Amino acid sequence: MSTGQITAPGAPSPSGEAAARPGPRTGAHSARGRRSLSSRRALSFYVFAGPWVLGFLALTAFPLGYALWLSLTNADGLSDNSRFVGLDNYREVFTDPETMSSLARTGIFTAITVPLTLAAGLLLAILVNQPIRARGVFRTLLYLPAVVPPVGAALTFKLIFDRDSGAANGALDALNLDGISWLMDPYARWVLVTLTLWGAGNAMIVSLAGLQDVPKELYEAARIDGANTWQSFSRITLPLLSPVLFFQVITGIIAAVQSFLPLLISLDPTPRGVTAVPEGNYLFMIHVFAQYFANGRYGYASAMLWVLFLIIVAITFLVFKLSKGAVFYAVDPEPDKQSRPRTLGGK
Amino acid sequence: MVFRRRSAVYMLLVGALVLFLGPFAWLLDTALKAPDELRALPVHWWPHHPNLSNFRDALTHIDYFGYARNSLTIATVYAVLVTLASAWAGYGFARLHAPGKKLVFNVLLSTMMLPQILTLIPTYLLFAKLHLTNTYVPWVLWGLCGAPYLIFLFRQFFSNMPKELEEAAIIDGCGQIRIFWRIFLPQSWPVIATSLILSFSWTWGDYIAPALLLDDAHTTLAVKLAYGYVNAHGSPLGNLVAAGAVMYVVPVLALFLIVQRGFVAGVATSGLK
Repeated sequence: MSTGQITAPGAPSPSGEAAARPGPRTGAHSARGRRSLSSRRALSFYVFAGPWVLGFLALTAFPLGYALWLSLTNADGLSDNSRFVGLDNYREVFTDPETMSSLARTGIFTAITVPLTLAAGLLLAILVNQPIRARGVFRTLLYLPAVVPPVGAALTFKLIFDRDSGAANGALDALNLDGISWLMDPYARWVLVTLTLWGAGNAMIVSLAGLQDVPKELYEAARIDGANTWQSFSRITLPLLSPVLFFQVITGIIAAVQSFLPLLISLDPTPRGVTAVPEGNYLFMIHVFAQYFANGRYGYASAMLWVLFLIIVAITFLVFKLSKGAVFYAVDPEPDKQSRPRTLGGK
Repeated sequence: MVFRRRSAVYMLLVGALVLFLGPFAWLLDTALKAPDELRALPVHWWPHHPNLSNFRDALTHIDYFGYARNSLTIATVYAVLVTLASAWAGYGFARLHAPGKKLVFNVLLSTMMLPQILTLIPTYLLFAKLHLTNTYVPWVLWGLCGAPYLIFLFRQFFSNMPKELEEAAIIDGCGQIRIFWRIFLPQSWPVIATSLILSFSWTWGDYIAPALLLDDAHTTLAVKLAYGYVNAHGSPLGNLVAAGAVMYVVPVLALFLIVQRGFVAGVATSGLK
């Protein structure tokens, strides 16, 4: 599976074209033969891509258009006479203090969890990359929490941080300290951060894959040149790992701004009910759910989600721009450029 | 020096293991406690009379097997369909060429950035109008379209297969569908396995879509588990929650442990190369 090419997936201009070279050419030498062959080939591309394209149009593009329309109306799902309100919902997104503070809280949550997860994952990856016994077992066990479904993870943390029967307060009690209402302000946000960090095994596995691609000879050469551990880490490991870390920053941000874990931690034991989410955990997504489920404000919820999407796009773009000098590609991220067949408009 | 460093590595790793496995231990511990032990002060670290009755009660307090069957149905149907459909589309993106392909591919990649919920709200309204809520048809439809991430995975794998594979087949007069079905698909079992496991566990773990689209009778274990274990007064039954959660999480963990070797490699390399 390895091609030795490290590229950042999701990049605006992915290596897509380059890696997927056009299929083999058979013995059709005449221009006409080639044309009929290539049009057959084009047709078969659409036979294969067709189901996804249709699905995209019906289940993504159409709902997106619908969401855009909804965001311009005051639809509430109850009355049929929703009407066009123009940009009112968007104006409200930027003027509603509750929306803005939930957005700011989401920003802080992201700014805390993404670097922490990245650092924890990298540290664990370095540890399980050492020549030690049973490192396969360590890798597997540390990755295990990342496999737990979100509901299972949230329920587990609810039990640990329960006011009366939880292990956290049990430990405090053993130290003769008073118990804490962990699932309420101001502590709830740290429970959320801890829960998020519990899945750092994912970051570990991704970083580990990157570490294993670093050529061992580089470290040997550095050692001969008298480099210490920190120097070889900062001069060899980090630069060669930067595309992998960059990938994690992007996907981490996208996941974090969409986090709805507080919903699962604060879920009330009544159908589809949410107990009051502590203010510290009232993230943007929770506000969207509250507006959508509790208040039935489909229009406003859709406007909020569109704003979130534009923010995601803007952040991704910004991270790409900012990381230009910091991300080091060992191999040209767009390989095989020269080897493209000339018939496809080559110079 | 080397010896000291190695023991420091072990100490850090064991510390990390305690932190990462501790929550599992507490979950199991709570599941084995008698109901009144949950209220005991100070907290009982170990159940004084460990028994399995919580597991039995967790199965009967809600229609556990019924909800598990719903989850299993949705997850299996979706996993099988989405894997086949993603392999199908992935083959096209890897091996075939047509005008507009780059555009289609860029659209595919950018849909990975869409917050799922942004399309889910209108999709819910759409399915409600078509009377498809409280059915599993949405998962069939989603499955048939393939998932961008899995398509990308298959595309990467198929791109790296040697040209000679299809050249010989073309000379023998095979069409693209046969080449895909007979030559490429059978070669791609590591990706098929990864895709099946990933998509199965996404659906098994998903909360939002079933909560939105399914009523109480059709919903999944993930949804029911989150609010189903309450007594007559509406207060949560912690040890039944724990027992239910253990039985919900263990199949996923077991599946992962069985396949972890290939899976970890698949996850690690999928998005990166």
